[in-house]
Order: sequence, then C-alpha cells, then structure tokens
Amino acid sequence: MNDSDTVDVVRDSLTTAKDSLAGVHVNTPLDAIVRNGRARRRRHRLTGLTGAMAITAGMALAVTALASSGHPASQSGHAASHPVTARLAAWTVAKQANGDIKITIRELSDPSGLQSTLRADGVPANVSSSTQLDPSCQPYPMTQALFTSIYQMGVGSGNTVLVIHPSALPGGAGVQIGASVDGRAGDGSPHQVAGNQTVHQPVHQVGARADNGVLRVGLVYASQQCTGS
Amino acid sequence: MRVRGMEQELTEFAEFYESTREDCLRIVLLNVGDLHLAQDLVAEAYTRAWVSWRKVRALEVPRAWVVRIALNTHVSWWRRRRREVALGDHDTAMPADQVTVVSGDLLAALRRLPARQREVVTLRLLLDMDTETTARVLGIAPGTVGAHLHQAVAKLRAAIPSHHGQEISK
Repeated sequence: MNDSDTVDVVRDSLTTAKDSLAGVHVNTPLDAIVRNGRARRRRHRLTGLTGAMAITAGMALAVTALASSGHPASQSGHAASHPVTARLAAWTVAKQANGDIKITIRELSDPSGLQSTLRADGVPANVSSSTQLDPSCQPYPMTQALFTSIYQMGVGSGNTVLVIHPSALPGGAGVQIGASVDGRAGDGSPHQVAGNQTVHQPVHQVGARADNGVLRVGLVYASQQCTGS
Repeated sequence: MRVRGMEQELTEFAEFYESTREDCLRIVLLNVGDLHLAQDLVAEAYTRAWVSWRKVRALEVPRAWVVRIALNTHVSWWRRRRREVALGDHDTAMPADQVTVVSGDLLAALRRLPARQREVVTLRLLLDMDTETTARVLGIAPGTVGAHLHQAVAKLRAAIPSHHGQEISK
C-alpha cells in the first residue's frame, strides 16, 4: 500500500467517524454568540479607553508628585526631594459605566470588607480568605462559556484585576471569591455529593497574586446566608 | 450607513455560522472526545470569530480558523488545568444519558498526535483542504505539511486494524 492509499484509508475512516456524528448538533443559538461577542467588543473598547485614561491620569499624578515633592526636576536649585510615602489599598472596587465591576486586588486582607462593597454595588457575593467553598454556600453549575461570560482576569503592576459582568450572572447565582495566601491551589478533590453525582466545587483559579497567593472565583447559589440576597 | 454595514456583517456571520457550525462541532468533537467540552470550545471559537469578523471573513478558509481556535483553546484549557483545579461542567459527573463520548482506537490515536500533526490531519483530511492551502493557513512550507501528514497517517493507519475501529457510545 503506497502513501496515497494509506492517506485515503485514514481519510475514509475519519470521514466515517465524522459522519456517524450526524445526530450531534450545536446547542448554542446565534443570538448567544452575537451577544457575547458584542459584550466582549465593548469590554475591549472600554479596556482601551480605561488604559488611555490611566496613562493620562498617571502623567498628571506624576507631574503633581514632582511639583509637591521638591523633586530637582521641578524645583531646580533645591536639594534632594522629600520622601513621599503612600499606603496602597489592599483592593479597590470600581463600578464601570456599563455596570461591570472591576476589582483590583493587591492583597486580600479584608475579605469581609470586599464582600460588603460588592454587595453594596448590587452583586450577590461571598468572599472568603480560603479557597475552600464557604459551608453556607451551594456551588452553582458552571461551564467554561458561562465562566468567560461573567469573569475576566488580568494582571497589572503585580496586582490581579478581576472584572465581573453582573449582567451575565444567571438568575439565582452569585459570585464566590476565595483567596489562599500560601499559594496552594487545593487538592481538587470532590467537595460535595449530591444524590448519586459527585459534584466538584465550581471554582476557577484566576491567577497568582503578587504575594504568591492563589485567588479563585466561581459561582454559588445566591442566598441570604451565602451571598446576602 | 454604519448601521447598515453592521447589519450586513451580522447577516454574513449568521450565514457562516449556520453553514459551518455542525461540521466544525463534529471535527472538534473527534479531536477532544467530549460533547460538552466540544460545544463550549466551538461556542468560544465562534464568539471570537464574531468579535474579529472583519478579519476572519477575509481569510482563505474561515472555518479552518474556527476549528484551530477551538482546538487551541482546548490546549490552553488543558495547560491551565494541569496547574490548577479549573472546574466546570467538564469536571462534573454527568448522568450517563447526557454524555456523548466519541471513542475508538483511531480517534484515540488522533488525540495522541503532536499538536502540529493533529492540525495537519484536521485541515487536510477532515476539512479536506489541499496541501498548499493548509501550508498557508498554518504558516509552514508545503513540504512540511507533507512530512507531518506522512508521520501522522502512519500512526493513525496502525490504529485501524479493520474498518470497524470506531465506536460511538452515547
């Protein structure tokens, strides 16, 4: 059998396998694809705009700092500058014009404060200092598509930036954020048993923080006890 | 004017989606073996195609781009999963009647191929593209396509003792 014959045999076998999947159909409607794509385009535009604004703001701050710190460049003829110290916030939450919530996390030292802030912004949330699921919460079924429609993660200046799109949250679901400062991601073992099914904790690690910690986000069923609503 | 242009883009994309999605899903499913995962990967790939539609529609074979994005997303997903516990429906035990697993020696051999060889097999044999087009899409020389195909086909042929090697279990 020559090379061409071999290719034909393999092609025929693969084609037969593909044809045998005729009963398999795509279950994602066009509307969902287009909606997700448009949301992503908006986020891309917003990210670009935010970046440009951040650069502008950064330049303005730098100028202000130079002027106020007695930097040689701003006060020629004067001696060395005075040290300027600032305590950076452990985390900041910013609600965007489109309703998205942008969380910048340098250090998750006040999880209950972050939880209160998110809830005050209308996001049902459970935030803990552990990557393990809060016992008062029930995991909400997650898919990769659902995850990417709700969460977006990035890293900037050593901080983890997490953007939540509350409009993409399914009804009855809330966000769950957990952090471990020792860098361990957990053992991945099943955490709950529902009926005959073993259900894993629906969490995703989104990135190691600057302090080598591990931050995970997932979905839980919203309830008064778990997410405050 | 701009609105009309966007409507036209949406119409084009809708036609593309309707005409290619089933084939792309089946090709991705053969490669990954899990229907739920394949559905997610294909949905993600089409979402990216819509986000970059002006670029994608100008490509020589847009559906090859979709399949490649889906398979590359799968690779990224696996890499991420090796480092962490990324859990979703893919990791959740599903009732047997909701699971479609595509198995068989040939398909197992396909999934064991190195990524580049699998890409070549997918484009050349499953998407039925010729060597030159495959080479342009992958950004490699036609001779390299031939070499990858030769090596891949030798491994796949060894997994076909007869023509009854595939099994679809649902």
